[in-house]
Amino acid sequence: MLRAAAIAERAGVPSVSIVTTPFMQQAGVVSKGVGLPSLPIAEYPGVPMTDGSDAVARKVEALLPQLVAGLAGARDTARPAAAEPGPRDVVQRGSLDEIQEHFHRNLWSDGLPVIPPTLARVERFLEQTRRRPDEIIGRLLPENRAATVWSIAVNGVMAGCRPEYMPVLVAIVEAIAEPIFRVEDAGSTPGWEPLVIVSGPIAKRLDLNHGQGVMRVGRQANSSLGRFLRLYLRNVAGLRIPPGAGDKGSIAGSFNVALAEDEDAAAALGWSTFGVDQGFTRDDSVVTVQSVVSVSPPIYSAGTRALDHVRILAEVFGGACGYWSSIGMKYARWEPLLVLGPSIARVIADDGWSKDDLRRYLHEHVTITAQQAETYALQVGATSYTLEAHVKAGVLPAAYAASSDPERPVPVFVQPDKIGILVAGDPGRNQSKGYVNNHIQGGRVSKTVSA
Amino acid sequence: MTNPEPVYDVVWPLAPSAAPAGSLAARSPDLSGKTVGELWDYLFKGEEMFPLIRKALETRYPGIRFVEFEVFGSIHGRDEQELAATLPGLLRKHGCDAVISAVGA
Repeated sequence: MLRAAAIAERAGVPSVSIVTTPFMQQAGVVSKGVGLPSLPIAEYPGVPMTDGSDAVARKVEALLPQLVAGLAGARDTARPAAAEPGPRDVVQRGSLDEIQEHFHRNLWSDGLPVIPPTLARVERFLEQTRRRPDEIIGRLLPENRAATVWSIAVNGVMAGCRPEYMPVLVAIVEAIAEPIFRVEDAGSTPGWEPLVIVSGPIAKRLDLNHGQGVMRVGRQANSSLGRFLRLYLRNVAGLRIPPGAGDKGSIAGSFNVALAEDEDAAAALGWSTFGVDQGFTRDDSVVTVQSVVSVSPPIYSAGTRALDHVRILAEVFGGACGYWSSIGMKYARWEPLLVLGPSIARVIADDGWSKDDLRRYLHEHVTITAQQAETYALQVGATSYTLEAHVKAGVLPAAYAASSDPERPVPVFVQPDKIGILVAGDPGRNQSKGYVNNHIQGGRVSKTVSA
Repeated sequence: MTNPEPVYDVVWPLAPSAAPAGSLAARSPDLSGKTVGELWDYLFKGEEMFPLIRKALETRYPGIRFVEFEVFGSIHGRDEQELAATLPGLLRKHGCDAVISAVGA
């Protein structure tokens, strides 16, 4: 919203933006990031979604002087930004405790102790890549900092990564810098968290866990790669919870450890691996990053036929996705991820099902009513949203407006081909788990890992 | 005797700012006769706010007119990045002298 205002200002058209009180600090971060720290704002007090029509009218009336002042009288008042340290500048000298304290005070850590990023440590990371330290991988909004190779190394050190992880760290940042990932929305209120998926030979080389406890903190590569990304989002994208600003995740969650697939198990089934599904070969080392906004319960399924399992998967994974699917429908790009336990995948594959068969089954059998879809979207803030209008606009397929019956079922999974399926977890148990992503925010992006 | 605690010289974990320099557009002190574009993210009751704003400003500023939000589409939707590229042209096409962008929540 402020980004649109900034585009208008740069086109010579004055703007004023309506921002609610709880978002004023985030607005400050965004305004600086777009290079117009004085962007005029009219502050709407409170939370529109819990205001009745009378309150909205009263508050809009109160906004008018600010709107007029913004459009007719605003001028640049920001002072030039203070000079910032260069990459090799030593910003603090001290003991381990003093370094931790300095980083906490400056909001440079995630609240956990960090490994002190000394020049020597950073250089050991840089030795693992042919990229120049000052190479810019991309620009990360909302704070809009240049994602340099140097900054990747510094945050990799801090997160407890090993130097040999550096090519993976670079690939992670390449992924989140892609426009389709929309890192600028990584501080949105759903509080989604990126999930890193490592595919191909690099996963074994770095000793990533793909088996029992795969999503638990405890294996260095899985844990520190996940931690790195959260630290990088804080320090370079500028997504900090209070006392910082920029990250408005309402309740949010902690970082996900990196996920790896049991690729040998997948291949033994005759299934493509996740990396291959993303368009690569099994010999390619690949990093994929996507958002995760919530996780299903553990999905236990038993039986000797595929249907015994897919029925439960549809019920529990589909159920976990159901509420949020309204947002998936609104944006019509939605990429939930299903992590199948190896024993479950074995039964499904042995019964002759491909991954696409499973996707098709989920698409055909998981539905909510049209009324639920529109009601759920309304709760989030989509106050004018209807399925019919989205069909008319070409965002959704015609099936979503097949009738005007509010009780008509509509598919939870808008695009079945976007359902990610991956084999991992405890081979000695019959459990799967689903990961719900945050529609177009944190779209799935894959990058090759190379030195 | 214990070893002295190590001392660390550490570097900055942030990265250089890439925010482009810029300044606000020039303002006209009077909105009378001006054309105001409505940019909306299709969220948080903008459909209630914009008609109220229109009505209030029309009574205060003779000749003010509005290019309603439907003309631009959502500024926070699936096509946000495409819209960002075309927005300056759309503002020119519709003769917008100013815009109101909403709702940040």
